[in-house]
Amino acid sequence: MKFDTIIIGGGLSGLVCGIKLQKAGQKCAIVSAGQSAMHFSSGTFDLLGRLPDGTAVENPSEAAGRLDKGHPYSILGTEAVLKYADEAKDFFAECGISVSGDARKNSWRITPAGERKPAWLTLGDFTPLASKDEKIGNRALIVNILGYLDFNTKFLADSFEKQGTECRIAAVRLDEMERLRKNPSEMRATNIARVMDRDGIWEKAALQIKELIREEDVVVLPAVFGLKDASVVDKIRETIGVRTIFAATMPPSVPGIRTQMALRSEFEKAGGRFFLGDTVTGSECRENGEIESVGTVNFGDIRLHADNFVLASGSFFSKGMIASPSKIYEPIFGIDLNYAEGRGNWFDGCFWNRQNYISFGACTKDGLHASINGNTIGNLYVIGSLLGGSNTLYEGCGGGIAIITAMAAADSILNK
Amino acid sequence: MNMQEKNISANNFEQCIKCTVCTVYCPVVPVNPLYPGPKQAGPDGERLRLKKGIYFDDTLKYCMNCKRCEVACPSGVRIGDIIQAARLKYNTQPPKLRDMILASTDLMGSIATKAAPIVNMTVGMKPVKAAMDGVLGIDKHRTFPKYSSRTFEKWFNKNVKAFQESFNRHVSFFHGCFVNYNYPQLGKDLVSVMNSIGYGVHLLDKEKCCGVALISNGMTDRARKNAAINLESIRKSVNERQMPVIGTSSTCSFTLRDEYPHLLGINNEDVRDYIELASRFIYRIVDEGKVKLVFKKDYKARIAYHTPCHMEKLGWGIFSTELLRMIPGAEVTVLESNCCGIAGTYGFKKENYHVSQAIGKPLFEQINKLRPDFVACDCETCKWQIEMSTEYAVKNPISVLAEALDLVATSEANK
Amino acid sequence: MAQARRDNEFDVIIVGGGITGAGTARDCAMRGLRVLLIERHDLATGATGRNHGLLHSGARYAVTDRESAEECIRENMILRKIARHCVEETEGLFITLPEDDLGYQAKFVESCLAAGINAEVIDPKDALRMEPSANPELIGAVKVPDGAVDPFRLTSANVIDAKLHGAKVLVYSEVTKLIKEGDTITGVEVYNAITKESAKYYAPITVNAGGIWGQRIAEMAGARINMFPAKGALLIFGHRVNNVVLNRCRKPANADILVPGDTICLIGTTSSRVPFGEVDNMYVTADEVDLLLQEGEKLAPSLATTRILRAYAGVRPLVATDDDPSGRNISRGIVLLDHETRDGIKGFISITGGKLMTYRLMAEWATDLVCKKLNIGKACRTMDTPLPGSENENIEEISKQTWAKPGTPHKATIGRHGARALNIGLKDGYDTSLVCECEEVSVGEVKYAIEELDVHNLVDLRRRTRVGMGTCQGELCACRAAGMLADAHQCTERTKNDLKNFINERWKGMYPVCWSDTLRESEYSQWIYSGVCGLEGPETHNEDNK
Repeated sequence: MKFDTIIIGGGLSGLVCGIKLQKAGQKCAIVSAGQSAMHFSSGTFDLLGRLPDGTAVENPSEAAGRLDKGHPYSILGTEAVLKYADEAKDFFAECGISVSGDARKNSWRITPAGERKPAWLTLGDFTPLASKDEKIGNRALIVNILGYLDFNTKFLADSFEKQGTECRIAAVRLDEMERLRKNPSEMRATNIARVMDRDGIWEKAALQIKELIREEDVVVLPAVFGLKDASVVDKIRETIGVRTIFAATMPPSVPGIRTQMALRSEFEKAGGRFFLGDTVTGSECRENGEIESVGTVNFGDIRLHADNFVLASGSFFSKGMIASPSKIYEPIFGIDLNYAEGRGNWFDGCFWNRQNYISFGACTKDGLHASINGNTIGNLYVIGSLLGGSNTLYEGCGGGIAIITAMAAADSILNK
Repeated sequence: MNMQEKNISANNFEQCIKCTVCTVYCPVVPVNPLYPGPKQAGPDGERLRLKKGIYFDDTLKYCMNCKRCEVACPSGVRIGDIIQAARLKYNTQPPKLRDMILASTDLMGSIATKAAPIVNMTVGMKPVKAAMDGVLGIDKHRTFPKYSSRTFEKWFNKNVKAFQESFNRHVSFFHGCFVNYNYPQLGKDLVSVMNSIGYGVHLLDKEKCCGVALISNGMTDRARKNAAINLESIRKSVNERQMPVIGTSSTCSFTLRDEYPHLLGINNEDVRDYIELASRFIYRIVDEGKVKLVFKKDYKARIAYHTPCHMEKLGWGIFSTELLRMIPGAEVTVLESNCCGIAGTYGFKKENYHVSQAIGKPLFEQINKLRPDFVACDCETCKWQIEMSTEYAVKNPISVLAEALDLVATSEANK
Repeated sequence: MAQARRDNEFDVIIVGGGITGAGTARDCAMRGLRVLLIERHDLATGATGRNHGLLHSGARYAVTDRESAEECIRENMILRKIARHCVEETEGLFITLPEDDLGYQAKFVESCLAAGINAEVIDPKDALRMEPSANPELIGAVKVPDGAVDPFRLTSANVIDAKLHGAKVLVYSEVTKLIKEGDTITGVEVYNAITKESAKYYAPITVNAGGIWGQRIAEMAGARINMFPAKGALLIFGHRVNNVVLNRCRKPANADILVPGDTICLIGTTSSRVPFGEVDNMYVTADEVDLLLQEGEKLAPSLATTRILRAYAGVRPLVATDDDPSGRNISRGIVLLDHETRDGIKGFISITGGKLMTYRLMAEWATDLVCKKLNIGKACRTMDTPLPGSENENIEEISKQTWAKPGTPHKATIGRHGARALNIGLKDGYDTSLVCECEEVSVGEVKYAIEELDVHNLVDLRRRTRVGMGTCQGELCACRAAGMLADAHQCTERTKNDLKNFINERWKGMYPVCWSDTLRESEYSQWIYSGVCGLEGPETHNEDNK
């Protein structure tokens, strides 16, 4: 089977790259071994929140120029980072995903633990804060779904109270939701969302919440609405009538899953082929070292040929990299990775300290091209979290790297 | 020292890192709160069951074995297999009469075809349906697929068998119970399509039901017997006659390839790659340029393709849809992947009827909204369910090909 | 004992909430004494919670230490009766591999029989049928009555019973000083880390059951006990590979015991001498991990491909008698010190040495001495009185008494709490809702633990309920349980810190074995806690525990 480009990995990075290529007229396929990390989204994409030395970043597009040369942003150059960051907003809008934010100024998101973290693009469900200590209102009503354990109202109340917001915690109980309780593990975000999405039920919930409001000027709800259709979120806001802030929940993330589904559907609508639940097992090379084709578990003897290949297989979680007790390797092509020798150097004994292994990943010598045994592979690109050179968790730049490197690789392929 | 260099455990549930993605995509979870969901029923429960069988939970029976959890899993955990294997291992209750009847597709088929008109009429009558509902627990809303009065095998042997030798290239056809007893036309279509592209079609020496219904109803001994007979015939075909085995049912093919080793513990490694769906087989030889398809000039159809669960798991939907897309007059829409809810015999059981319909609802809505000329699908039980639940007819892609191909011109082109 | 006394006056104060202290508290309370049990951290945090959880048959000691072996088998049989919900009667095998000397087997069996241990030589083929995970190359096998025992559950059950008999229990309370009047210890000064308050408690007798830390308690009294800190490292695997305890039939060495324990199995141990100053900070080195794996694979080859959940180390509380550098040939024997006769210090006794298996006997000896000093003539009844929860062991039976349709969470709860599960509210959907999905711990069980079982933080909760002990090591359940603790303790800040400490405590066991799926799991946890939740380090760190 022949394609123009085959993308390995169907997460944020792979999909952005695939959509861009497909919309530019290429014939693309995405091979994805299961669903992606978008399912645990925080509700925002970060661009750059902190420099490696700990300096907080206000203007990511400017601060990107102060990163080490191995950082994916440095490889692309500040100009390109800014260009793609700006392009990203339109890109999501075209995919029907509402986002707000600015690459020149970080906004802030409220985390499920009540912390505040820098954010670049915020999904429409959420309310970006202009500053770290912005007060969300004078009085907040924090409403949970009765018995839902993945939304910590106390942590949120505690953090809002620090900014002087008086908080009251309440819960709504819906008969339709009680049905879920027949099962001990059903009170999770997506299960609730499925019930809430039904016509009449979200309305009932919203009216109950409205009833609860006394003097509060802001309502805080868990983001468990609109699994398939974001409009439920707006309708709830409308019905409640008071300023309503949705707070991210512990995984799974309803807005994240919806975004993933929207991106996949955009890719397929544009004619892309998405192979879910399949694993790339190996590749064949041309004489010049370029990749000729890949094989997968499901395709068996039918090889997938393409002019270009994009490796968006992610980091450890999605097995883009695999660690054994003695080494770390990329399992499909065996591309060159940067990592510390000896597993004693992979970790810090304290969970909360910076972990070295997060920054391990592909070394790209020439743009986003992968190398194997030191030789640059002209038609193999690496994008997203498989790239090394950045401690994405510490620096707060995982989302940005995923989106921006995907766009850059797509352009590089299109301009060939 | 090489320990733990590749710690891919035979106990594959270890790879589960508890991300809960599987539960998001389980079709049963949203409609049946009694089902604990794939993560809980699968890898989580397995650790407790390994401790003691007493932790086996009867609610595992609500799993439809659709394997959508496996398709969604980012860790490659065979969640569906774990659940089904646990049911086979720990469930001590003997199968009910109803389950035995439903599972014995070939036995029932061979009796029913002999008296097809009477059976078809009887099982369609209201009092009989009520009795089946009340006594047996087969839901009264269900219409049994009609039995054909002559089996496919009989038709084949009498009419086309001799002719098949005249071809240079050959395949064996695993027709399955549905083609044999209920819908021989699909088998006939397969023969005409294959013949037109220059392939002779042969039956296996001996074919038994693949056993999928036996497995899902806990009758593993009989399933193993069937598997042994089928594999012996398949080995003969593949090894002695160099004929790959093709089928028209995604579930039969999936069972022969993957459920045999994973659930029945039967090694089929030597022939597994030679068992495939006809649509994949045809796609491949067309793609390789070995054969040409010539379509009717006036064929026109708006086709909605539904990907059956086991097709989703096989990852082979692409071959059927790419084939359909080759038809110049066809406008193909791939429906958003959603289980139809029938899951073989699952939906026929009274206790599952409402769940089954609720699972399929989003699919039926999609079809109704799209208003295609017909639905295409590689699975016979999906066909029943969609035909029972919507106004639309469902055709196997091979039948669509048979309709759309200019068979004479195709034969000419492949001589 | 009848006269009215003040709240801070007791008949006996027991220092140390490990299994020895808990057992002694129970025995003393059952004999009618007013008991105060004091623990500086949580129950079972020391050596009690950091071993194999092996219900020794005594076979391991039969050749080298007949007395210990005899004690073991006697206590083994008693625990099967009194601690049914803590014990699993798995049986054990001592296998001989081609590299081992088969000649040792005869001597081993002979010694076992002499000690009263029912050791039976069986055909290697039968051994493999009995335990299919055993190394198929084995050339000899002996069946012995080994089993598994859950030390957390056992300690908790002893404490519950002590409390039912009127004992008072103080956790997170450290003895800062022993109160001495002349040559008599009359009480203790205690600092409570939660209330941040100090208090004094008085009793005519103080029992030092501090395990390895007992050396310091003794020092406070002016006595000297030379403890012999011997570190033992163990690995926990993700699920049960074996259902029968596997031992190597050779002289005790590294990594020669594989024990199935609840949903996991564990291999151990190593043995190395550590300076006394390090006993509070045990960590497992890469070399120890490699050694455990190398040897472990020989017992059960599938360990080579089984995911490791974590590594941990404990310190054997052995009393030094000689300078054996390995610490293996030292007697596991019970050491009961009457400091009045030994050091001229009245009102103070130490109970140490021994092991998990013989805790009840240690408690009996200590209590006998306490009673003798107090002139109380009551006899010990712990050998035939079931612990709370062990009145009935039949999970099906217990569950049918309460629930029409018991699901896995109900059964799992009974598995952990035995007949006490009847006291746990699991009636409605809210209560059966799962907090920890790996181990199937419900809201009702967590509430019960917080209310009844002296739970002050997430780590305590884990020891009582197994929350966070499963495959994901607390990834999502920690947050859920934190929410419940915040409700119970009405302090969000404390709970948040507690959550951070808990996650870090889990990580301490994970990073020594962090590769493949365990690394994937860790990355996912990092995404959730450092990423999605945006949490940063806690203000203080708890010490790490198993």
